[in-house]
Amino acid sequence: MSLNRRSFLISSVAVGAAGLTAGRSLADEPIVVGVSGPLTGPNAQYGAQWKDGFDLAIDQINAAGGPPIQYVFEDSQSDPRQAVTIAQKFVNDPRIVAELGDFSSTASMAASPIYNRGKLLQLGITNSHPDYTKGGDYTWSNCVSQEDEQPSLAKYVIEGLGRKNLAVLHLNTDWGAASKDRFVKSAEAAGAKIVATEAFQPGEHDFRSTLVRVRDANPDAIVLEAYYADSAVILRQIRELGLKQVVAGVGSIYSPKLIELAGADANGVYTQSYFFSEEPRPEVKAFVTAFHAKYGKDPDWFNATAYDGLIFISRIARQYGSSREAIHEGIGKIKDLPSVVFGDTAFDPVTRRISGPHFVRLIVKDGRFVIWDGVKPETN
Amino acid sequence: MGSWFDYTVNGIVIGNIYALLSIGLALIFGVANLINFAQGSVFTVGAYLGWTAIHYLHTPLPVTVLIVAVGSGALGAAIERFALRPLHQRSRIAVLLATIGVSLVLDQTLQLIFSAEPRAMPSQLPDWRLPIGGVTIGAIDLVIAGFGVTAAALLFGFLRFSKLGWAVRATAQDPDAARQMGVDIDRVNVAVFAIASALGGVGGLMVGLFYHSIDITMSFDATLKGMVAMLIGGLGNVPGAIAGGLILGLSESYGVALFGTSYRNLFAFVLMILILVAAPNGLFSWRRELPPEPMTGTFLAPSRPLGLPRGALYALIAAAALFPLVWNQPYLLQTLTNVLLMALMAFGLTLISGTVGQISLGHAALLAIGGYASGLLALDFGWPFVASAPAAGVITALLGTLLVLPALRMTGHYVAIATLGIGEIVALVILNWSGLTRGPYGLSGIPAPSIGSIELDTPRALYWLTLALVVLFGSLQGRLLESHLGRTWRAIRDDEVAARAYGVEPLRYKALAFAFGGFGAGVAGAIAAHLYSYINHETFNIQLSILAITVVILGGLGNVLGAVLGALLLVGLPELLRPAAEYRMLIYGVALLVLIRYRPQGLLGTA
Repeated sequence: MSLNRRSFLISSVAVGAAGLTAGRSLADEPIVVGVSGPLTGPNAQYGAQWKDGFDLAIDQINAAGGPPIQYVFEDSQSDPRQAVTIAQKFVNDPRIVAELGDFSSTASMAASPIYNRGKLLQLGITNSHPDYTKGGDYTWSNCVSQEDEQPSLAKYVIEGLGRKNLAVLHLNTDWGAASKDRFVKSAEAAGAKIVATEAFQPGEHDFRSTLVRVRDANPDAIVLEAYYADSAVILRQIRELGLKQVVAGVGSIYSPKLIELAGADANGVYTQSYFFSEEPRPEVKAFVTAFHAKYGKDPDWFNATAYDGLIFISRIARQYGSSREAIHEGIGKIKDLPSVVFGDTAFDPVTRRISGPHFVRLIVKDGRFVIWDGVKPETN
Repeated sequence: MGSWFDYTVNGIVIGNIYALLSIGLALIFGVANLINFAQGSVFTVGAYLGWTAIHYLHTPLPVTVLIVAVGSGALGAAIERFALRPLHQRSRIAVLLATIGVSLVLDQTLQLIFSAEPRAMPSQLPDWRLPIGGVTIGAIDLVIAGFGVTAAALLFGFLRFSKLGWAVRATAQDPDAARQMGVDIDRVNVAVFAIASALGGVGGLMVGLFYHSIDITMSFDATLKGMVAMLIGGLGNVPGAIAGGLILGLSESYGVALFGTSYRNLFAFVLMILILVAAPNGLFSWRRELPPEPMTGTFLAPSRPLGLPRGALYALIAAAALFPLVWNQPYLLQTLTNVLLMALMAFGLTLISGTVGQISLGHAALLAIGGYASGLLALDFGWPFVASAPAAGVITALLGTLLVLPALRMTGHYVAIATLGIGEIVALVILNWSGLTRGPYGLSGIPAPSIGSIELDTPRALYWLTLALVVLFGSLQGRLLESHLGRTWRAIRDDEVAARAYGVEPLRYKALAFAFGGFGAGVAGAIAAHLYSYINHETFNIQLSILAITVVILGGLGNVLGAVLGALLLVGLPELLRPAAEYRMLIYGVALLVLIRYRPQGLLGTA
């Protein structure tokens, strides 16, 4: 942690210095990307994970030659008030050619009008809220919309795992509600029955009574629409209560942290992800190796999507030019973007998201995420 | 039937934890007459201390408990000695603010040391689970219950049989009399903070072991739940706090059983308001106690407000209005717009809390009502901004006054806690009333403010709009304060009994203050909603309420100009501190503590 905080400070000092030097030579003028995200406050952990991804991307881009890239990370605490201020700051800072973030949809969507009016590309790296990219022509995302992810999860649970009576536990935020609604729609269309839906508040830690309700509804599978930290607490309590149902979760529970926090109770959990660190794709292998060498730990999706975001901007700038307008023009046109998360990919200029994502079906076995072997769990 | 037994067991298990959270709060409240907002942070420090001991030193549980108790106890003593004692006898409200500052500093320090990622708490207890009915209880549940009971028994023995315990009780009854009888009040306070913090820290460790994970966001929730539990048991009543925790746990568990998980907190806060109205001394005060000491009068530090000559004021307004013509820098203007919005919000609060003396911790709820009212009028009925924003002000004034009615008869800390509860209820109703408010989705696509066909979407236009409103509401409030109404409000604050004796009906005047403050807050919320274009139930959260009361106290209670200055400092400072990145909230907390230390009566003094 302390290592990359220092490197962040150095890079931000470097950015400051670059702004001061009067005679900028065009050839090695760095591309500067603004990042609006939480470094303090309740979501600070995600900002820290982004930074790990960004710093690795910067190392690689700058080592490969070509126009160097830098980022300015402004702490928004995922607070809309601060996110709009940061948006004004970035829009009016001529060095900044694109923006990444924010984390929460509240903050990101509050800032979108400013980025759109200011004609600065706002690339949401973790924004799966279905309405996020509807904020305007300059608001894009390399995060899969829940519109795409949930039907795939429903198919996994119903066809893959052979479950029919489902209980859904979801985070009571716009993200969680959107995820739940789309899951319920797809699941019911596929002939499954939703026997219970329970919404919980962020920061909630006690799920025992909720789980008694779930138990009494008699589901054959429990579906989690939550992040990994909450999910770990829920998994512990599901097993402590003695519930034996199959548990499946949305892709955001995929993180080594889930296993660290839930311990043996994570075993047997099903999930899907479009990024899996042990996937045999060469770009994933290279990313995981480099990440491990730099930080001594395995990356998760938050690291990977942040890494991708910065690599995308760098690629677009190299191909189409590094002005704001060139990057905005380029993002809809560029093909074969190298991506850790998606493989070679492209943006769909209509939805302003990645087109045609694919998912890997995973299960936790003996304290590790592995690719699901296709065996249906026994009925309980 | 079987399930009800299960819900009861679950309620008792979680109630045990709430009891642990509230004992420390109750002890401190009983002696220092203070809601200690830092208690939740001490609780989190305890959890991390325990994690460190287990992770690095592999200490067995009894040793871990000892390390955590000693460490957090020392921290509590240090907080009392260095952050709170210098404020003694100066202003009671400043002490409250100082605990908020301490909490900020502790949380940020923890985050810098341990990072914000949640950590797995290694289990130190056997892994068996005992089936009871349809659920199970484990070793940790029994340890927590045992610890709660043991701690309460030890505390009881200490208060009843030791000499220091007598001194503590004497101080709790009447600090001045105790001092005259030769009790060393400072020593008592240090002892109380050390004991309460040791209990809180061990509580954090236990909760970490219970959930198998700890993170730095535990602090605030712990304070909130502990406060509700303490209130149910009676403010400052230690055995009551344990019972209060159990009742809160049970009612939440039954609430989940009856209505579903999303109603859990709503149930807890409604219960709290009901108890406040029906039995304000808690469920366990057998003796009829003296009415709570008013925070008014004693709550305010004696000071003379620093005024500004009229000419200077006009010059300042003119400079603020002309300034964007000279320096059209959008980032700066956006920041100043945020400052002005905060000032607009603080006007109402400084009137309610400063001039009338009703400390409100739920002011953000008024902004939420205003924001939703204007947003929904614009989105669903196509109202133009010039109509929807004033309408939002009126709706907020009416609804806000109605909501706060149960709190109007209360005084002192009860108002603070009741308004906090009402604020949370408003947020939870917005979240759960999907039919009206679109629930967790929030309102998106709220149009930018406009006057006629002119869209006010540039930073400059928005700045002028908010500046105009700040000048309008500020001068209106200034005039009101000079009128007979202002005198009546101050009279109620300074001595409600005397005011009543003069024939003033306090309730009506308090309601009037809430209505006026609600109107301004509603308009501020409306502007914020149109400015952000997207709001949800968390946009105007309790942190915003606490920031607003901080602005008001820092600027000087009741002081209109002070509210503007406080907003400028507290909204502007984090922006100035941007280069400090992760360190900025820590520096902000320290700066807040220093400001309170040297200007406890507020920067511009109480008006």
